[in-house]
Amino acid sequence: MIRNYFKIAFRNLWRHRSFAMLNIGGLAIGMTAGFLIFLYVSFELEYDDFHTKGNRIYRVITDVKTPTETMTVSNTSWAFAPHLEREFPEIESAVRINYLSMLVQHGEKKYNEDQSFAADSAFFKIFDFKLLKGNKNTCLQAPFSLVLSETAAQKYFGDQDPMGKTLKILEEGYPVRITGIMEDIPENSHIKGNMVLSMTTFTQSIDKDDDPDNEWGNFVPSAYVLLRKGTIASALEKKFSGFIDKKVGQSLSIDQMSYSLFLEPLDKIHLWSDRGSNDKGNINNIYVFSVIAVFILLIACINFVNLTTARSVERAREVGIRKVIGAKRSQLVMQFVGESLIISILAFFITLVSTRLSLPYFNQLAGKNMDTHFTFSVSHIFTLLCVALFIGILSGIYPAFILSAYRASRVLKGKFSGSSRGILLRKGLVISQFVIAIGLIIGTIVVHHQMHFMQSRDIGFNKNQVLVMNTGVNHAQKAFKQNLESIPGIASVSLTSAFPGWSNNIAYSQIENNNGDFQKANIGIYFVDFKFIRQFELKIIAGRPFSEKFATDTTQAIILNEKAVKSLGYNKPENVIGKRFEQWGREGEVIGVIKDFNFTSLQNEISPLSLRIEPSRTNFMAALINSEDIPATIKKIEDKWDVFLPQKPFTYFFLDEYFDRQYRSEIRFGRLFLSFSILAIFISCLGLLGLVSYSTLQRKREIGIRKVVGASVTGIVNLLSLQFVKLVAIAFLIASPLIGLVMHYWLNNFAYRISMEWWVFAAGGIIALFIALVTVSFQAVKAAMANPVKSLKTE
Amino acid sequence: MIKITDLEKYYRTEEVQTVALNKLSFDVREGEFVAIMGPSGCGKSTLLNILGLLDDPDGGSFIFNGIEVSGFNERKRANLRKHNIGFVFQSFNLIDELTVYENVELPLIYTGVKAGERKERVQQVLEKMQIMHRRNHFPQQLSGGQQQRVAVARAVVNNPKLILADEPTGNLDSSNGNEVMDLLTELNQQGTTIVMVTHSEHDAKFSHRIIRMLDGQKVTENILAG
Repeated sequence: MIRNYFKIAFRNLWRHRSFAMLNIGGLAIGMTAGFLIFLYVSFELEYDDFHTKGNRIYRVITDVKTPTETMTVSNTSWAFAPHLEREFPEIESAVRINYLSMLVQHGEKKYNEDQSFAADSAFFKIFDFKLLKGNKNTCLQAPFSLVLSETAAQKYFGDQDPMGKTLKILEEGYPVRITGIMEDIPENSHIKGNMVLSMTTFTQSIDKDDDPDNEWGNFVPSAYVLLRKGTIASALEKKFSGFIDKKVGQSLSIDQMSYSLFLEPLDKIHLWSDRGSNDKGNINNIYVFSVIAVFILLIACINFVNLTTARSVERAREVGIRKVIGAKRSQLVMQFVGESLIISILAFFITLVSTRLSLPYFNQLAGKNMDTHFTFSVSHIFTLLCVALFIGILSGIYPAFILSAYRASRVLKGKFSGSSRGILLRKGLVISQFVIAIGLIIGTIVVHHQMHFMQSRDIGFNKNQVLVMNTGVNHAQKAFKQNLESIPGIASVSLTSAFPGWSNNIAYSQIENNNGDFQKANIGIYFVDFKFIRQFELKIIAGRPFSEKFATDTTQAIILNEKAVKSLGYNKPENVIGKRFEQWGREGEVIGVIKDFNFTSLQNEISPLSLRIEPSRTNFMAALINSEDIPATIKKIEDKWDVFLPQKPFTYFFLDEYFDRQYRSEIRFGRLFLSFSILAIFISCLGLLGLVSYSTLQRKREIGIRKVVGASVTGIVNLLSLQFVKLVAIAFLIASPLIGLVMHYWLNNFAYRISMEWWVFAAGGIIALFIALVTVSFQAVKAAMANPVKSLKTE
Repeated sequence: MIKITDLEKYYRTEEVQTVALNKLSFDVREGEFVAIMGPSGCGKSTLLNILGLLDDPDGGSFIFNGIEVSGFNERKRANLRKHNIGFVFQSFNLIDELTVYENVELPLIYTGVKAGERKERVQQVLEKMQIMHRRNHFPQQLSGGQQQRVAVARAVVNNPKLILADEPTGNLDSSNGNEVMDLLTELNQQGTTIVMVTHSEHDAKFSHRIIRMLDGQKVTENILAG
């Protein structure tokens, strides 16, 4: 019996090859898209889940409060981790991680290692980053110990064994000993890096005089704690305020500040944290993509059901015969469900192949690096198979019941035609497909519109043709700068501690407010030089810019942005001019106010910012290039660099590219959204194509008669197309308000956003209508052009 | 074997009700070969569908093999049908996706006959119908006459007591038609009861008895000399 079903199923598929291809192909495309999204989602959800003690590891995060605002930061000050470990028996172990951009030299090889960090010695005991060589308890104990990843080891030492060998680090060229080799840190880890330097290198040697282990006010390292088994994190959290009081309560109360410490579970950092981390994910995007995956699968299933039930007329005779010669209804249901299972299993295999083929492109699109090992893990394949079987049964069961219900006595006499209920259902299904498709089209337009808005908006400063270099603060910097200024093609060179897109320092500040009080606040700070404001084209709206004419500008002057002025309670920016300030050991007067500019992503509101002249902290050099020949200018800069800063490799970037990198994840989101929308529409059209070809087949006689009595080809094409136009129109009416609501919610993520205008919706509807019409008219024209004599004869 | 009394069947559309069978009564004895004739629309096919347990009458009684079957549900009818009744249609109604062999085997699969026995019985019947050499062909590769022989083979493979034939020669030329009629006669001689609907006086002469119908009623009944 089963063999008979298989035989029938395969021969059926073979006989109706084009139909089968539509059906299997549509399903396979849908399943591939769904599977890729599933992989993406599980990749994101499985972040940091490879640590065996993961459920006991927490990141310590801090809220820093002043009377006017609260800063929520992802890191701690230097003293927190070691003191917490000592103070609380619930904490088994603690580690600080401090990300570095470190100059590393080995003989002639010289690299700036952005992917490196310093960590306390407990690092390899708390986390399960696998050490291939070296002792996990001791490899980060001694100052100037360095653990390399396999990739880094290969980069510096090739095939030699690096253990015990030395590299030189930092500009000073400190020798460090290689004490361990670790496996490359997995892709789905929020902690990233190619080399780990022992934290004692700083705490016991380089920065020993600053006593970092007792430094409470400087929030730099990330801190992680491993709790003892059975410890309840929330209970421990409650004890932290007492601890802070005891350690720094007195000095905090003088500054009118307070710290609150929280424990953030390791596995929540990547997707759920409201604070930064490397390559931070976004749980909302995960939800959006999961919904899209379900929608695409749904569209594929709808195709399946639609095509199968549309074909039922053809198979009615077979059902009749089978019933006459003794088939029970259950046997027929089994047969048809079996057939759809075969289709879904074929689609499953095609999905495996197409996933393998599309994985590199998808990785590029999603900015992920999922390997085949992860992709084709047993559990993932098993999930896919289950989904395939589920789809097979789900999509097969309805047509199976429809088909098996036919009355043999009627279908064998040819008295059969599709029931009106069936037609209504198919129309309903087509409408739901187009609701999804139109929703995705409109969504795509909104996402891209917002991206374009963010990248083209006037952000209040000039980011074009600005080349930024990290020269560090040193004696050579000044000479290098002067030499660059003499290069034709360089309009201006300025020095700064930060630039838009780069995370600036936050300084504890006291500024005289509207009431004459010293208002205490943590505000952003840029250390700049005299040229900065002019070169970045910041607008002075009150007071004056820094000027070399005023000797006090280097020691007693500050410039604020509008936001800072408003937070101090001034209505007019002029009113703040001449008011007193105290900030990081500096006292003086406010000399000017600049118009707000977006120094962080447009997702965030502009926050208060201050500018000060301070040459000892301006490690970045920004060159404004006005030459047509940029590569030649860069070459000239590099030549000068090699003369003045020979100890450092020449690295640079362009400000606009760097700034736009903040939108990388949004751009990726937009691209993924676009790709999946195209897929969804494509699958919908496959289904529509199949449906139209069957409906024209059924109306062949009608078309023939109409032509005989004088209908034109256009008339018939219109007749056939109009029914689908109606469906798309209904779908548009349903989709518009729904997607409008969803995108409104999405746009709320951005502080600066577009408003959705009517044309966005209209465009979505028109695009969908156009695509549907092209699909439909292809078949309609064919049917309308057919010779009516032929179609009438075959009836 | 068949006893119908006052059988009624109506077809309803929104506005009109058509009477297909109007208090029709007759019986068929076991081993008999009965031809039913009449103009299009007189209710022949409706009758055959009811006799074949494919359709339910709206009134009257239908006793098959001594059991009252009107009012049987679909499952019971299907069960009775597959063990007792074989069908031969004008348009052959073979399944295009199955070979000759597989078409003939299908009823045995549905009645749950074991594989070994199935093979034996299919071969027997194919040889009897002289289409063994075509067993691996698909229906569309055969001539009309050959297709009808396959259909007959399929109808008899389960050794049914009753064969219902609906214009079995309607789509065939005269020589192929005669071959099929000879086959039916032979089966009848071996003891199978046959009820055949036909337009052809020629074919009707192969039967023992001709029932003529008009507007859902029996008009005449001629007994032919065997």
